Parts: sequence; C-alpha cells; structure tokens
Amino acid sequence: MSLLIANSLTKTYNNSGWFRKHSPAGKGVKDLSFVLEQGACLGILGESGAGKSTLGKIVLGLLPPDSGNITFNGIDLYQSDRKARKQWRRDIQVVFQDSYSAMNPRMSIRDIIAEPLRNYERLSALEEQKKVAELLETMGLSPQEMTKRPKQMSGGQLQRVNIARAIALKPKLIVLDEPVSSLDMVIQKQILIHLKQLKEQSGISYLFISHDSMAVHYLADQIAFMKNGEFVQLAGGSYHAHDLLG
Amino acid sequence: MQPKLIVSLTLVMLIVVSGLLAPWLAPHDPNLVDLSHKLQSPSFSYPLGTDQLGRCLFSRILYGTRVSLSLAMVIVLASLGVGLVIGCLSGYAGGWVDHLFMRASDAVLAFPSLILAIALIAVWGAGWKQMAIALVIILAVYYVRFVRGLVHSIKTETYILAAKVSGTSPYRMMVRHIIPNIVPPLLVVVTLEVGWVIMDISALSFVGLGVQAPTAEWGAMINDGKSFIRSHPRLMIAPGVLIFIMVALLNLISDSFSESKGFGSPLRRKLKPRVTEH
Repeated sequence: MSLLIANSLTKTYNNSGWFRKHSPAGKGVKDLSFVLEQGACLGILGESGAGKSTLGKIVLGLLPPDSGNITFNGIDLYQSDRKARKQWRRDIQVVFQDSYSAMNPRMSIRDIIAEPLRNYERLSALEEQKKVAELLETMGLSPQEMTKRPKQMSGGQLQRVNIARAIALKPKLIVLDEPVSSLDMVIQKQILIHLKQLKEQSGISYLFISHDSMAVHYLADQIAFMKNGEFVQLAGGSYHAHDLLG
Repeated sequence: MQPKLIVSLTLVMLIVVSGLLAPWLAPHDPNLVDLSHKLQSPSFSYPLGTDQLGRCLFSRILYGTRVSLSLAMVIVLASLGVGLVIGCLSGYAGGWVDHLFMRASDAVLAFPSLILAIALIAVWGAGWKQMAIALVIILAVYYVRFVRGLVHSIKTETYILAAKVSGTSPYRMMVRHIIPNIVPPLLVVVTLEVGWVIMDISALSFVGLGVQAPTAEWGAMINDGKSFIRSHPRLMIAPGVLIFIMVALLNLISDSFSESKGFGSPLRRKLKPRVTEH
C-alpha cells in the first residue's frame, strides 16, 4: 500500500471581501493528485506563489482542503478520529525553511528537540538527555550544544536541530519545506547529504518542497513541477530538471 | 540595564519599602485624633505638619502608601489573571468562543471606564472592596483584548506550527510557547497600568466612592484636605505630589522596559526582514 495518496486536492484562499479588491486567488492549489511510496522522495518544484507551501500544510494536516482527500497509511487525514489522528500526527513531521523562526526563541536546544518526545513518550530526564544527545550526534552536532539557545547558533546548525526534532519520533514521512533555501551552498550540500543518508538508512519518505532544481534533483526520486497551484509535469529522478524547465 | 530604569526602580523600591516599614518609620499613629495639635505647620515631631483633626500628615502618607500600592497591585494582578486566561482562550481558539468574548468585551468597552466604575459602585455601595471589584472587571476587559491581540500575532509564527506538528497539546502550547512569548510586551503594559490604577483609586477615593475615612489613602487624603486648599494647601499638595511621583516613575519604568532589548519581541521580530526565496 502506498504511504500517502492525495486525490484531487483543491484549496483556494478567498481574497475578496467588503473592503478588499477582488484579486485572482493566488497561492492556492488546484486538483492535485499524487502518490508517495514508503521510502521514496517526491520533489515539488515551482516558483514562489505556485502553492508549494499550501500543499505542504495540507499534507501536514494543518490546513483542510476545500475538496479532495488525502490518506496516509489508509487513514484520511481530515476525517480521522482523535486516536487515529494522534497516530498519524506522530508519523508526519516537518522541517521549515526559516530555521530560526521554527524554534521558540526562549527554549533551549534540548527542550526544542525533546518536545515531540515529551508529547508522545514518557522518558525519564536521563533517558531524554541521552536521546537528545544521540539525535544531535546523528545530525553531526556536539551534545554540548544542548544547553544553547537558538540565538547562539548559526543557520546551518539550527537547521540540523530542526531535522533532529523532526526525526526524534522516527516518523514515516517528513515534509521538507525549502529546508536548505536560506543556507549557503556548502551548508546546503552537507544538509542534503545528511537527508539522503537518513532516507537510505531508515527508509523515511520525504515530500521535498523547493524552488531549487539542483537540490530537488539530488534528493528526489520523482519530481512534480508546480505552477499556479497545479502540477504541470511529473518526472522521474533521472530526468534533468533543467531540460524540463527549459 | 539603562540608568533610567535603575534610578526609577530604586526610587519605587524606596517608596514601597517605606510603606512596608510604616509602623516603624511613622512618628505617630496615622488615625490618632488630637485636636489640640490641629493644622500645625511642619516641625521636628510632625515632619509634614498635621491636618484639621491633628493627625500626623507624614504618618498618614506612609500608611496611605500601603493602601494605595497594595490595592493597585492586587487589582492589576487579578485583572491580568482573568485577562490572560480569557485572552489566550479567545485568541487561540478563535471561532465562536472568540466572538462571544469579544462581543461581551465590546459591551463593556462601550462605556468610559471611570464612569462604568462609578455606576457599578453606585449599585453595590461605596467601599474599597466594591471599588476593587469594579476596577478589576473593567481592567480585565482591556487585558483580554490586549492578550488576544498578542496571541493572534504569535499564533501564525512558524514555531507554533512546528510545535503543533510535534503533537503539542493546546494546553502545553499555551504554557510553553505562547505565554512565555507574550510576557515581555505584557510587562510593559502592566507597569504602566499600575500607575493608572493608582490614579483611578485616588480619583474614586477622592469623590468618596473608594477607600473610606478614616483609612489613610492618597486620594482620600486629598479629599480630606480640599476644604483647606486656601489656608493650608500642603494637606492636598503632599499626597498629590506623591501620586505624581509614583505614576511618573512607573511610566519611566514601563518606558525603559519597552526600549530594552528582548522586550517587545515577538512583535518586533515580526518586523525583521526575513530571508526569503529568491
């Protein structure tokens, strides 16, 4: 069975109102269907405003679509009961673009990474510390960083912390919403290599949203091109993205 | 820390401590009537002189500090508590819960606050307890609005979304993510508000609706002295000056809070240009 099946998802933002000019609905998505297999990576490539992040939010269960449905492991994300929701919520995690604003600035790195663990697992303080140290090491960071605050770390380090938090619960799917776009080239490459290793070692699936065709090409097994909220082309990973973009 | 903050905090602490130590610092019993010493000029044994009943003005001001400040603190904290709970609920839940609380607060905000306080006290009868309850109700509505606005602005932050995806429950979201991040801007307002409440208490006590005689309270003391404004203006000036100083100091503190780094975020951070896709 496929991990994630999206069936003609549509979401429009209503921009018209009493005192607002009616503008063409931007950033929504129209009639999106796709299938994501266990352990695969689907790249979503498109320019700003193409609706990539809207799709990401729908997949994360944060934004109900106007029509269409999306099932994860056979469970409809927006029709599930409380118990089922608790399960898939654990299995779908996220890494956002802006690594700094994705963390509560008043929490320590340890608290940030431990948050999903505290929500789902009852660990003693010692077990938790061990687990957080392990996660930091997996992401190539020193366990000593645990006591730091987000402000004291660089963008690249913060993005590693974000990924550490995302993999803490061993999810089945991670939505990567422009995870490397605000980093410099060297760090981008390191993070992408890390993500690829993770995928190969633990069989996590990715939904990789990006406007950077090189990054998508490196990580994705399949690439969907998005424009104005629609998929315009679907390609396997062996295609050169540049050929298709023209 | 800014020098402005240090100086004003020190002075406020000085006033607070002298209020706390009133029983030891005051040269006389603040309520001791001694008509043989009435309306005396300042002297060594009566540092600010005596009032029309021969009570020591300095002792009364010291004891009045306790009443004015502790009432103001209690009123602000109680209304802050109510405002925080309802404001968070309203701002985070949205939908009909939000509508319900907002329309109710609209109804209260439709009246000028002091007039509403007077109306409530008129129904319940004059006294410091009634005054405190009336002020708590009115202030709480302002806090509900303010907190709701802050929660609204924070709710769309990426880290709230990230926490939601991590499976954080609404209660934990409040306690761990939202409230810690709205405390700094709230502190700015609360400090300012203590000053306003001191003025409100004084105003209501001045018109006889708040603290009742013979309890010494700054506003009530101004009221007591008003018949002697021509012959002995110091009866009004002394408590008046203290109210002025206290409110000015609290304004200064609030001001330096809002200027200092770290305060004002997360609102300020919203204005910071972000790295976006190119």
